[in-house]
Amino acid sequence: MPDRNTHIVESDLLIIGGGSAGLWAAKRFTELLPEKKVVIVDKGPKEWGGLMSMAGGDFDAVLPGDDLDAWIEDFVYYFDGLCDQEQIEEILRRSNDRLEDYQRYGCEFFRKEDGTLKSIPQRGLPHVKLYPAKLVGRGGEDMVRNLVKQLRKANVTSLGRIVVTDLLKQNGRVVGAVGFDSISGDFYRFRAQVVIASTGVGGWKTSYGKNTPTGEGVEMVWNAGVRLKDFEFSRVWNMPRYFGWEGQTKLIPLGAHFVNAKGEPFMEKYSPVLGVNTDPHFITIAMAMEIRAGRGPIYFDISRINPDDLILLRPQNGWQLMNYEKLCKLGMDLFRDNTEWLPQMTISYGGMEAGIKGTTNVEGLFAAGTARSTEPGVYAGGFALMTTSVTGHLAGEGAAEFLASASPVESDRVDEDIDALRDAVYAPLGREGLTPHDVLRKIQTAMFPYDVSILKTEASLTRALDEIVRIREEEIPNMAAADPHYLLKLREIRGMALVSELYLRASLERRESRAGHFREDFPNRAEDGLAWILIQKDENGAMSFSRKRVPLERYRHPITRYYQDNFRFVTEEH
Amino acid sequence: MIQHIDDAKCVGCGVCVQKCPLDTIRLNEQGKAFIAYPDDCMTCFVCERLCPAGAIFVHPFKEKLPPVFPGPRYDAVEGNDLRDKEVYHA
Repeated sequence: MPDRNTHIVESDLLIIGGGSAGLWAAKRFTELLPEKKVVIVDKGPKEWGGLMSMAGGDFDAVLPGDDLDAWIEDFVYYFDGLCDQEQIEEILRRSNDRLEDYQRYGCEFFRKEDGTLKSIPQRGLPHVKLYPAKLVGRGGEDMVRNLVKQLRKANVTSLGRIVVTDLLKQNGRVVGAVGFDSISGDFYRFRAQVVIASTGVGGWKTSYGKNTPTGEGVEMVWNAGVRLKDFEFSRVWNMPRYFGWEGQTKLIPLGAHFVNAKGEPFMEKYSPVLGVNTDPHFITIAMAMEIRAGRGPIYFDISRINPDDLILLRPQNGWQLMNYEKLCKLGMDLFRDNTEWLPQMTISYGGMEAGIKGTTNVEGLFAAGTARSTEPGVYAGGFALMTTSVTGHLAGEGAAEFLASASPVESDRVDEDIDALRDAVYAPLGREGLTPHDVLRKIQTAMFPYDVSILKTEASLTRALDEIVRIREEEIPNMAAADPHYLLKLREIRGMALVSELYLRASLERRESRAGHFREDFPNRAEDGLAWILIQKDENGAMSFSRKRVPLERYRHPITRYYQDNFRFVTEEH
Repeated sequence: MIQHIDDAKCVGCGVCVQKCPLDTIRLNEQGKAFIAYPDDCMTCFVCERLCPAGAIFVHPFKEKLPPVFPGPRYDAVEGNDLRDKEVYHA
């Protein structure tokens, strides 16, 4: 192995992951402690902004005068009771502050003729709504640009193309991390007083913004002993078969709907109350049932949309406009032609269990954004930009408060053997073995089938688990990387294998259906189901499961109804 | 997926190399951009949009993925997918 340079990077706060949550964490921390040094490290390009750079810019917010309690009740209902009410209350309470911050930094949202913000209701919920960005197709990019400008003013240091592999501790407290540069191969050691992990979720590389959230951050915190939750939930999204599209969330409330091969709309059959205006997770269950019954493929029909609303929908700039124009040239005008859509498992919803201000069970480590779990597999449009900004802001505040009370550490001495970590990181470089891409395809082949990702059963989950365990035992240790670029891919695929196993085991553990988790063999709620499934690494490295009951006696809002009761999924001719 | 970088048009500014989220593009010894890691493209169009010389072409179709549903209609075999047909790659 060639000699590799080692870089030592010192800071007070190290933020791992420079997407929406990481940027907001830096913003808040530097507001509270402007003299302290902050470093943001990201595996992607410097200051690219993570998945926010590809987001449409839709933002959920509880505006002044809105009924906060009514919003919370919407989420208790939407999450089928599996709602951390204290967390969602704090997130919603601060949502308008972040929306106003964005506008102050220069982002524009769509306004009606009277000057007020245009809102779009979500998922047939009575109160939850999103506020769309003014420029359809570039909202997320504008948010990144404006937020990065703020951080430059605050002297925040940003490093790109560096993947962090392991956290470092001193007497159990996180005091840094190690990683490598995926271009040069150089080794990085980070020393910090406090660390925020805003590494996003795990996922399965399904194109268009879903190729970077892979789970190496999950592996990093898993190995550090962080308690995880909500891994039985994954995002199964309706996607055009051949291309990417952002914004069905806005198309459906305005009249778009799915039809089967006979041209029949079918959601009304599965949900007479909500029809098509519902959560995509439930639409995908219906799609899977239609296709299984021989009524596929499924098409997306936009012909019923009021022409006045098209300005909100047709991409006007950014990647979405380029995509749209190229598709039109191929005879695939989404606003004219019926296009084939498929359900596709995209990302995991599992993340760290965290307190309101991002505290985890590991001292010195805070969780922000989607790396901390906030929802059980159902997704209201605009939720991610809202929750990642607020939880990032909260974690920045939590980290600043931690520094006020924690004693300073000299992080020269750490619990881990850094040379051993370094050797393990570089071991696959240059050796013979399986390519990360080969193993990626095998993981996807095991995970994507509809009976693993949508209509789950004990038999299908067990079948997939057997394959993922085989991959973990036989293939992951035998992957090789030709260069530092592939070494990053290799770490991503390791993370993806871990996330897949967490998903399958947690899905087997939840023997009921609730929110985004549908077990065809247990289609109803179970009495003991009102609990989060927590997972932690035990002393042998195995996955240890426990349950944390939803503390309804402490909460202000009783569960009075369940979103899933709007649906009737009956197995037929199967 | 990224399909082509026109060597004659590329001015070697390196913007696509810097901005690709997946590190798909690198500069060669002549200082021209080339597709170094084609499998990693996620069809985000960042490179094509930022290229000052119009040298990059990204096809709007995403890569083929393993199937969600069984049967020949959805199976990833050659011939049952628009991505197998030449007309869609003009």
